[in-house]
Amino acid sequence: MCGAPSHAGVLRPVLVLILAGFAPAVSADDPLLETDVLPILTKNCMGCHGGLRQQGGLDLRTIPAMLAGGESGAAIVSGDLERSLLWKRIAADEMPAGDDREKLSAADKARIRAWIAAGFPTLAQRQQDADTLLNGDKRHEPREVAQAIDKHLDGFLASAQLEPAPLSDDVEFLRRLYLDLTGRVPTAKQASEFLDSQQADKRESLIDALLATSEFGQQFGRTWRDWICPPELPSTGNAGTQPHQQARAFGDWMGKKFASGAGWDQITREILTVQGAIKDNPQVIFFGVVGQGGKTNPGGTARAVASIFMGVQLKCAQCHDDPYRDWSQQEHWALAAFFGRSQGDFEKIEIGKGPAKQSGQIAIPGNAFKNAGTTVPAAFLRGQPLQAKDVPDLRTPLVDWLTARDNPYFARAFANRLWFQLFARGIVNPIDDNRALNPPSHPGLMGLLADEFAASGFDVKHLVRCLCRSTAYQRTSTPVPGTDAVRRVAITTAFGRMPLRVMTADMLHESLKLAYGEPQLDLRSGGKVNTTGMAATVGDALLEFHRRFGTNEEDRTDFTHGVAQMLTLINHPRLLGDSKSLAEFLKNTPDASPTQVIEWLYLSTLSRRPTAEEQREADEYLAETPDRAQAYRGVLWMLVNRSEYILVR
Amino acid sequence: MRCLDPRLKRRDWLRLSAAGLLSAARVPWFESLVTADIQRPRGKSCILLWMDGGPSQQHTFDPKPNGEFKSTATSVPGIQIVEQLPQLAQCMDDLVIVRSMTTAINGHYDAKYFLHTGHKRTTAFEHPAIGCIASSQIGLPDDDMPAFVTIDAGFDRPDGGRLYRSVPAYLGPQHAPLAVNDPQQGLENLAAHGDDIDARLKLLAGSERRFAQRQTLPAVSAKQAAFDRAVRLMHSPRSRAFQLEHEPAGIREMYGEHKFGQSCLLARRLVESGVSFVEVIHRGWDDHNGAARPVAARAPWMDAGMAALIRDLKVRGLLDDTLVVWMGEFGRTPGDGNGHFSKAWSSVWAGGGLKTGQVIGKTSEGGKQPGGEIAERPVSTADFTATLCLALGIDIHQEFLAPGSRPVPLVEKNAKPIVEMLG
Repeated sequence: MCGAPSHAGVLRPVLVLILAGFAPAVSADDPLLETDVLPILTKNCMGCHGGLRQQGGLDLRTIPAMLAGGESGAAIVSGDLERSLLWKRIAADEMPAGDDREKLSAADKARIRAWIAAGFPTLAQRQQDADTLLNGDKRHEPREVAQAIDKHLDGFLASAQLEPAPLSDDVEFLRRLYLDLTGRVPTAKQASEFLDSQQADKRESLIDALLATSEFGQQFGRTWRDWICPPELPSTGNAGTQPHQQARAFGDWMGKKFASGAGWDQITREILTVQGAIKDNPQVIFFGVVGQGGKTNPGGTARAVASIFMGVQLKCAQCHDDPYRDWSQQEHWALAAFFGRSQGDFEKIEIGKGPAKQSGQIAIPGNAFKNAGTTVPAAFLRGQPLQAKDVPDLRTPLVDWLTARDNPYFARAFANRLWFQLFARGIVNPIDDNRALNPPSHPGLMGLLADEFAASGFDVKHLVRCLCRSTAYQRTSTPVPGTDAVRRVAITTAFGRMPLRVMTADMLHESLKLAYGEPQLDLRSGGKVNTTGMAATVGDALLEFHRRFGTNEEDRTDFTHGVAQMLTLINHPRLLGDSKSLAEFLKNTPDASPTQVIEWLYLSTLSRRPTAEEQREADEYLAETPDRAQAYRGVLWMLVNRSEYILVR
Repeated sequence: MRCLDPRLKRRDWLRLSAAGLLSAARVPWFESLVTADIQRPRGKSCILLWMDGGPSQQHTFDPKPNGEFKSTATSVPGIQIVEQLPQLAQCMDDLVIVRSMTTAINGHYDAKYFLHTGHKRTTAFEHPAIGCIASSQIGLPDDDMPAFVTIDAGFDRPDGGRLYRSVPAYLGPQHAPLAVNDPQQGLENLAAHGDDIDARLKLLAGSERRFAQRQTLPAVSAKQAAFDRAVRLMHSPRSRAFQLEHEPAGIREMYGEHKFGQSCLLARRLVESGVSFVEVIHRGWDDHNGAARPVAARAPWMDAGMAALIRDLKVRGLLDDTLVVWMGEFGRTPGDGNGHFSKAWSSVWAGGGLKTGQVIGKTSEGGKQPGGEIAERPVSTADFTATLCLALGIDIHQEFLAPGSRPVPLVEKNAKPIVEMLG
């Protein structure tokens, strides 16, 4: 919840177990830099000895910086506690400095001590030679990739002595796949057809069939739209109009690209090098939403490009060197310099204008905390400076570099986000914090997916197909009885069990639309023009739905809905109203028995048939409710209020 | 309204009401008092009256000799406010006017964010709003009622920038506000639709129980807990606090017909029934064409609603345990109030056990622009937030862990709380 370092806590036991197998020279109990030491230093020390401030000349963000030490000498000396000033100061409670600061706990001190004594072991050292299992130079059959994915994960699980969960049954797989690939549950007909099919490879067939639908594009378009556009968009002008319609048009635009099979490199290029008016180019909004106050802003663009397309967080480096990560303010503005000569807003983007006085460099703005006014030349992140500065649109050489097959960020960033989308957890976490000291949980797997994606020409459907075919994706989310919570979390973290997720607002909206047979579902209260302020788009039911049922973007397993959402589901008149889908079913099946209707309702919502017990309970309810139509409405209400409905198993 | 003896304690009031000695107190009110005997184990409750857009200080609580509005004496000798607020003038014993707010940000949204969270907006992560902080720190644990409610009191002009929405950020979603979009309608979807809700809940219960037994997972228990809280609220007698129709007509009139007054009344009912933090938001104070006319038009209902709230809380013995704060995101330029002005503006506090009947700080009197500077006791956003937290019984020396493992203090460490008004 509160952004604790990614590997701390639950993953630690898993990593310790596996390290014992991989690196016999290292004791499994040795603390590691990334998992054990950095969280302590981040919380207690780096505020004064990091990127923001280097009191006493000391920077603790990396091992080389610690070895270099500060004015008093080296912070750490391998195996030598007496000469390691970091240890001496912490041990004596001299640091953190000041009477009002909490000192380190005995456990934290012990970790630092053991880490120095062991000669600074790191997780990254153990991961250096991780095997990707497949030749990264060519594209493979989805079956081969899926097998390699499973080999990676199973090897990890076996060495950590974790028992993976069994395969999902057809119901679970069907509903999960529909929600992930089309953003809605299947219709009753689609559900019964799949469940009744005797075809041996029906799962593969369904994956292929759904990838071929336009709904696949729409769902991926919405997913990426939500990653790019925050739920509350920046507004234009004092009246505060938020461009939600334009954001949706952008999602639709991306959706069509995804559906058509356009490569991610191509889609990225069309977004990042867009020129002209939004009416012809919906992707213009990208620059508006990531800028400031609806206007383009090179710094904002750089941070969004880093986070979305490169999987890197440059947020803190805008105003000063990142206090905790090894990113400098210089690197942030070197990326921003590529966007210094393009300018616009929600309406249009023009080339040759912009805050940079000269092409290929940019001055750090006056409101930056440090180095305001310093000019920074354009340079590729951790790479060469830009040579050809006189090209008309500097964004083009940036995209050339970004989408090159050997770019270290681009393919990884997409593969990691896709993995997050389907497994609710990145291989690198947070999904945009890819850096040396925050290594992936499965380095070989990360490399495999990035290589395969690049070798396939950034073929999105290919990568989705590979992932969905894996056993890992098809495992059940139901906990194995007798597995305690710690072990269950460890198995899930190691991708040996599918987590239980919460439907996104779009999944819930699309699924409810289906259940009630509506083109759009309006769950606002009656007679209201504008419930949330003049900034809201008046009369926009979908926006209100998103505001109400938006979920935790960082953690899809986190059920964040509260009383307001539950009251809406329980008492909103529309959800107790008629279902046009049901009316149609009854019209087409005039002699349907109550049992068949109940079955149809279950299939339309939970994608399965009722159990005998559920059938009996529904029969009892029907017997108590003389009005047949009212009884069916009540059963539908019950189904959409089920935990099983709003959760993705 | 008759001025009731402020020393009248709640129990006495009950006794007098029961004896029929006070004709205004009819049965429903009496009942609501009985059900509302909430014991607060920690802290005080708060009603924040948020005048969105930035109200003019010189047209309200900091009048100047040659200003557009004349000033009037208050119940505290030596303290004057504008004559357009006669009822509040009579409540001055129970008020503290802080006339030296100086908060640095002149843009609507950034200023709303700053004053609500105590932190400047960054691109890195969001900070929790004060209502969410109060929910997490002094909310009644495991209560039928929500800890934090916002009430939309409407707007009278479509200006003032994007609306700020309170978010709990890293405190967790259970501290998000429950929003009332119209005080007259109460909480949306609170009442069961259809007459067979019990039969449907029964139909649901069996399958939910079985699902939870198989799926022993946090998301399932969180969903079912939220669902149970919603059903509990629906069935709780205290949820009647959301319905103004249970209030006697006399009391409803006392607060004024305007949505703002009715929101104040709803806020009182909610605090009385256990809600810890209520934010009443009235939008449209962004008076770029001069503050005199629009504020003159708003003054009657604002005066009536806020004064009624303070008096009503007092009569019920709730004022000492309820802090009322009136403010916007900044003030307006001295003189006509045309522009945004964060350099020197006013907030008004009442109750909460504060040392009331005083003015904190002072704006300049002479010069080319009277009121253009702080003359005494500048109060920064950090000072303001620290004072608010302390008044509510929240420990200000706390740190939270924001995303990216970044420790964020609850209140900026250089904050100097206004100790001279804390009880």
